[in-house]
Amino acid sequence: MQRAARILAVSLGLWGVSIFAAPAPVPADHGERMTAGLELFQKSVGALLKENCLECHGASVKLKGDLDLATRESLLKGGAHGPVVVPFNAAESKLVQAIKHSGELQMPNKKPKLPADAIAQIAKWVDLGAPYAEPLVKGAVAKKDRSTVTEQDRQFWSFQPLKKTSPPAVKNKTWEQTPVDRFVLAGLEAKRLKPNAAADARTLVRRIYFDLIGLPPTPEEVEAFVKSAASNRQSAIETLVEKLLASEHYGERWGRHWLDLARFAESHGFEQDYDRPHAYHYRDFVIKALNADMPYDQFVRWQLAGDELAPDNPLALMATGFLGAGVFPTQLTEKEFESARYDELDDMVATTGTALLGMSVGCARCHDHKFDPIPSKDYYRLVATFATTIRSEIDVDLNPAAHRAALAKWDAEHAPLAGALLKFEREELPGRFAKWAASAPAVPEFDWLVLDGVAAKAKEEGVTFTRKDDGSLLVTGANPDQDSWTFTAPAVSGSITAVRLEALADASLKKKGPGRADNGNFSLSDFLVTAKSADGKGKAAPVKLVRPRATFEQNQTSLSVASSIDTNKTSGWAVDPQFGRNHAAVFEFERPVSFSNGTVLTFELEFSNNAKHTIGRPRLSVTTNAGGAEFAAASQLQSVVEPLVALRDAGSADKLTPKQRALVLASFKRTDADWRALNERVEKHLAAKPKPDTVLVQVSSEGFKPIKHHADGRGYPHFYPQTYVLKRGDSNQKQDPATQGFMQVLMRNHRDEQAWLATPPAGARTSSRRTGLANWITDTESGAGHLLARVIVNRLWQHHFGRGIVGTPSDFGFQGEKPANPELLDFLAGELIRNGWSLKAMHKLMLLSAAYQQESKFDPTKAKADPQNTLVWRHTPQRLEGEVIRDSLLAVGGLLDPTMFGKGTLDENSRRRSIYFMIKRSKLIPTMQLFDAPEPLVSQGARPATVIAPQALMFMNSAAARQAAANLAKRLSESAPTSAALVERGYQLTLGRAPTEKERTSAVKFIERQAASYGDAPDARTRAATDFCQVLFGLNEFVYIQ
Amino acid sequence: MNANTFLTRRQMLQRAGGGLGLLGLASLMREEKLLAAPAADPLAPRAPHFPARAKSVIWIFTNGGPSQVDTWDYKPELAKRDGKELEGFDKFTGFFSNAVGGLMKSPFEFRQHGQCGKHVSEIFPFLAQHVDKMAFIHSGHTESNNHSPALFMMNCGVPRMGFPCVGSWATYGLGSESRNLPAFVVMSDPRGRGLPKGSAANWGAGFLPSVYQGTYFRPQGEPIDNLVRAKEMSVAQQRAQLDLLGELNQSHYAQHPFESDLAARIESFELAYRMQSAAPEALALDREPEHIRRLYGLDSEHCAHFAAQCLTARRLVERGVRCVQIYSGGMENQLSWDGHNDIVGNHGGFARETDQPVAGLLADLAARGLLDETLVIWGGEFGRLPLAQKAAKPGRDHNPHAFTYWLAGGGVKGGVSYGASDELGHKAVENKVHVNDLHATILHLMGMDHERLTYRLSGRDFRLTDVAGHVVRDILA
Repeated sequence: MQRAARILAVSLGLWGVSIFAAPAPVPADHGERMTAGLELFQKSVGALLKENCLECHGASVKLKGDLDLATRESLLKGGAHGPVVVPFNAAESKLVQAIKHSGELQMPNKKPKLPADAIAQIAKWVDLGAPYAEPLVKGAVAKKDRSTVTEQDRQFWSFQPLKKTSPPAVKNKTWEQTPVDRFVLAGLEAKRLKPNAAADARTLVRRIYFDLIGLPPTPEEVEAFVKSAASNRQSAIETLVEKLLASEHYGERWGRHWLDLARFAESHGFEQDYDRPHAYHYRDFVIKALNADMPYDQFVRWQLAGDELAPDNPLALMATGFLGAGVFPTQLTEKEFESARYDELDDMVATTGTALLGMSVGCARCHDHKFDPIPSKDYYRLVATFATTIRSEIDVDLNPAAHRAALAKWDAEHAPLAGALLKFEREELPGRFAKWAASAPAVPEFDWLVLDGVAAKAKEEGVTFTRKDDGSLLVTGANPDQDSWTFTAPAVSGSITAVRLEALADASLKKKGPGRADNGNFSLSDFLVTAKSADGKGKAAPVKLVRPRATFEQNQTSLSVASSIDTNKTSGWAVDPQFGRNHAAVFEFERPVSFSNGTVLTFELEFSNNAKHTIGRPRLSVTTNAGGAEFAAASQLQSVVEPLVALRDAGSADKLTPKQRALVLASFKRTDADWRALNERVEKHLAAKPKPDTVLVQVSSEGFKPIKHHADGRGYPHFYPQTYVLKRGDSNQKQDPATQGFMQVLMRNHRDEQAWLATPPAGARTSSRRTGLANWITDTESGAGHLLARVIVNRLWQHHFGRGIVGTPSDFGFQGEKPANPELLDFLAGELIRNGWSLKAMHKLMLLSAAYQQESKFDPTKAKADPQNTLVWRHTPQRLEGEVIRDSLLAVGGLLDPTMFGKGTLDENSRRRSIYFMIKRSKLIPTMQLFDAPEPLVSQGARPATVIAPQALMFMNSAAARQAAANLAKRLSESAPTSAALVERGYQLTLGRAPTEKERTSAVKFIERQAASYGDAPDARTRAATDFCQVLFGLNEFVYIQ
Repeated sequence: MNANTFLTRRQMLQRAGGGLGLLGLASLMREEKLLAAPAADPLAPRAPHFPARAKSVIWIFTNGGPSQVDTWDYKPELAKRDGKELEGFDKFTGFFSNAVGGLMKSPFEFRQHGQCGKHVSEIFPFLAQHVDKMAFIHSGHTESNNHSPALFMMNCGVPRMGFPCVGSWATYGLGSESRNLPAFVVMSDPRGRGLPKGSAANWGAGFLPSVYQGTYFRPQGEPIDNLVRAKEMSVAQQRAQLDLLGELNQSHYAQHPFESDLAARIESFELAYRMQSAAPEALALDREPEHIRRLYGLDSEHCAHFAAQCLTARRLVERGVRCVQIYSGGMENQLSWDGHNDIVGNHGGFARETDQPVAGLLADLAARGLLDETLVIWGGEFGRLPLAQKAAKPGRDHNPHAFTYWLAGGGVKGGVSYGASDELGHKAVENKVHVNDLHATILHLMGMDHERLTYRLSGRDFRLTDVAGHVVRDILA
């Protein structure tokens, strides 16, 4: 008795807190009254209210009259028309009047009046102060409390720490295969249900193949399993499960489940739906991580903050694609900048909450969550985590460690070579130079001065010019459709009369060039020359070019050399078919050009009259000869001639300015055989400098250049460093600044929030805020890790068993279903953590269980007790997803291309697995959509399995189905001499079993008749076989896995 | 996610009506509760919340944002203040803040028409004859000044991507009346001008099961996928094939008699077989008599393409299709009603393409007695400013603050005007109608309470009208 009183007192502390806030006078004996009232509440009143009032007045969204009787606090608050209860005064209380039908308002509405005894008890309870022992709706809190989170909120099952559960005792001692089974069996036995018998080996092998790798077993694989299962069933299953978990196809199968949760796509959506061409790395990360059995906590940590946690690991960078996979407008007006950014942040927070924690955090954007204890400020604290996180495309070194090692080795080899050259230049060269300079070297005769010192610039990105010894430039890198080059030459003295533009052949070019087009051609649309004085005074003036001539012209009109200096941009100089040889064009200046301080010439080469038709190896030269010079007249490099002229003009080496001396020395040393030999070793080694193996990857990170956006020109900032709490989610109604934090309801043990937060190292590019989130979300002791574990084991269970232990796999909140077997769920979540978050260990635990291995037979009696099969008395048959259907068609048709990874395709004729389709939001693959693939817009935790006629049309008429059938028919016809044999083998390949006698008879009869109907056609039999194979694909047995 | 409902006996019998002899099996299932698994017919007709006024909806989507002051919202005051500056105007209202001009009167003449005396722009000589069938809403307003958010708002109730559109919600709520045709059909501008901005997301099912998305009829070639039998096969040969399939599937089903999905799928092949002929039949406009073809303007080159779509729409709703949406205008600015430049040429041109076909549709529906149960909707994603957008030939920029919609048939009053924009047509001021309100009204006419039509996703009940929406009762008949 003593003990009971103390419990009551504690309860009072919790639930009676607001008695003094009530307006009515509180009687002196309120303490005793409330204690008595509590007893009454527990004995009868609580149940009476629950039964008769809560349907309309019970913490739901649509409260009648805005009156909520779920808690004492909400009761005292009253409804739309004010208070309904005056504590300690039943006579004055509207609620009591209403149930007594003493006024106009009569409750329960449209239902019979309550029995007199019930009315009396409720009235008495009000007189006793109307205390509550507990909320009438589990977990309900009064509305005004939703901005704070209480210990009471943390009592809700999913927020609770994992219970240490051990397998319960069961009556049937022989059923258990793994610990899972005792949990399942205990649940069944409690309802007096027996599990189904074990499925036969043939059914089981098919089930396991589809579940784990999403492809059918071959007939040989079926037979091997059936045989080994006959001797030791459980060991055969274990071997099979291990084999399939080790298969690379496992990641492709389970990766697709994850991509639904990640709302993964490779385009922006909205107006133009631009592609995200480097987003596919995220899909590859998912497949690789699953195949490698990456611990699930790490899998999650990398997706949130891989760039901070393992910046050198390419996979960790690719993982961050998760955050940036959502939609984003491609067109923005100023008015939309900030709200669009908040939408984007919302997408990150909502997806993180739903996919990882099964919590609809996004609901708290506009208001405190209506059902779950997620105050709006918690939401904005999470939003602040991502404030500076944006989508970028960066070069990622696929193997940084290897590159570092190679570079170190190279550095070590390079030092002695560079040292030898330096030693020679210091100790040997000066003497040789002095001797040579004193010999007054002659300036060679030449006609063309080759401008080997030009500075070259291309308008398009990624085009590279590399200088060759002969003064030409080899063009490599990007080959844009159209381009425009600007070459600026160092000053030239004298009176320039003509320019020569050469297009030289090169072994590295297609067809040896001289152009970069696939056939070796080029097309120079426009060639412009401007000149200005080297002293920088005056503007550059165009030089009029006249009398153009060339070694060869493709024609005399639109592809002539003359057309490169006309005003028509659709014509230009080209040389088809004279590929693989040097070409040159000479243009005379209408008037010679000379400036006293030297002339700076700028050349513009435009390539716009054909696509990808630039010159592959251009070289420019000028002459001072009157009337120009022959194409092949004597040439000298500007870098060779000018120093010699300078030396000649100076008279002796000492009279050179330091700048001139350096130039002359540079020119001289190239003539020295010893220097050249030493230099060549250095150059050669330099050319072999190891390059990182890089690939462009879309990441979600901070401090990198944002992905280009249409609104960049309008000044779109891509992010706002400060996050605010918004009223009603409206970025025009900012309230307090928000700083990073986590969901209070998922913080336990009074752990200081600061403990999860990470401080960025000095000079860091990123804020480490996402690392903080990753720390909290995987902390199983005090953070959200226990929920993270529950949610993922439930998802695994859902895909293996057709339904999660929690039937709402992405909602573990108050609105979601409660776990059908909470002990089992906590056991599995605990096992996951104990097994180092190994998902493969979980698969094994589930698939080796007797629960999983049951046959799917429906039993009306059992169904009556458990219609949804939540207790798992049978295996729930599953319709294959669109991806698996298509992959199976390809596999059985012998058409499947197993190439993994890399860029995807939109081509439905592709023969790769369906996970390698590119996911473009405006061009979703119709067949996948047809079979319920979700639109990749928000995280999706479960797909429906609809049955609609257009799916049947796919099997009947699509090119894909016909082609797979034709190919299967071909395979069958080659190995099966008779229709009966063909039918036999067809069944084995598609269904993994032999046909029944009846099936065989019907099928053979069909093939014979169908062949006859094709008459004399030479392929009549093949066509009939194709029609039969198509029937096999249409079988329910092909797409429903028992 | 699955409805987790049991197949009802009525549904079972309906399906069994597919001529497959399922009745024998149905007797095994006499006790409804003994059927396993979700009945996966997401398109089975469902009763509305209350009797529907409109069985079908045809939405003429004037894509790009038609100008209210040049079409249906007559503003004499604007003419008086032509060329004057609009004081206090926020230059970021439209899309181009650097091309804001002065007030600009409509270049079109307005004349009164019908019993109701409605002022109508001269660009609609045909539609003007039907004003007594129309209920005009002049006080529409929306939440974005940019095409695709505004398109999403108008179609899906939220100015963001990812939500189900009106047609998807309606199909989710009511199922499909037609067993041989899709419940919700979308046609886009067939003149090579592209899709509206945001493309298929405008008729997408968002987070609803994809079965509820709009079926897009391609303007060229096969309108929908997989409708045509492989050419090497005859009807009889395909029939023989399906007979074998049916037989084999039946005996498999006999071993799993409680799995209703299996029965549904058996039937789906028979439905598919029938669709092969039903869909082409519905699209065979050459079966229409000459006077009907002329009524829509099929014989006039400038509007034949839109006439064909309007006539198709009528044939579809006649055959039980619930929602049809036809887009006039495509993606790029001047290729839609997005008249930034040359409002005369732009609006004049698009009006000329659509005026007679839409008028023909109204007349034809009325003559067949179908207008009473068919709701016709006309409007775009927002309105346009009463100011000029500066250009050699001036146009008008986007205006989220005011637009005009009209509805006809399907339970709305004819010849009424509801709400008003200010004297210049700049902002809605009287009886403002938000897009959520328009949606609530459309759902109401279809027999659904927009607050009760919900879908639970990850713990939240979503609605087309989010947390808002009031039915515009004043226009209900």
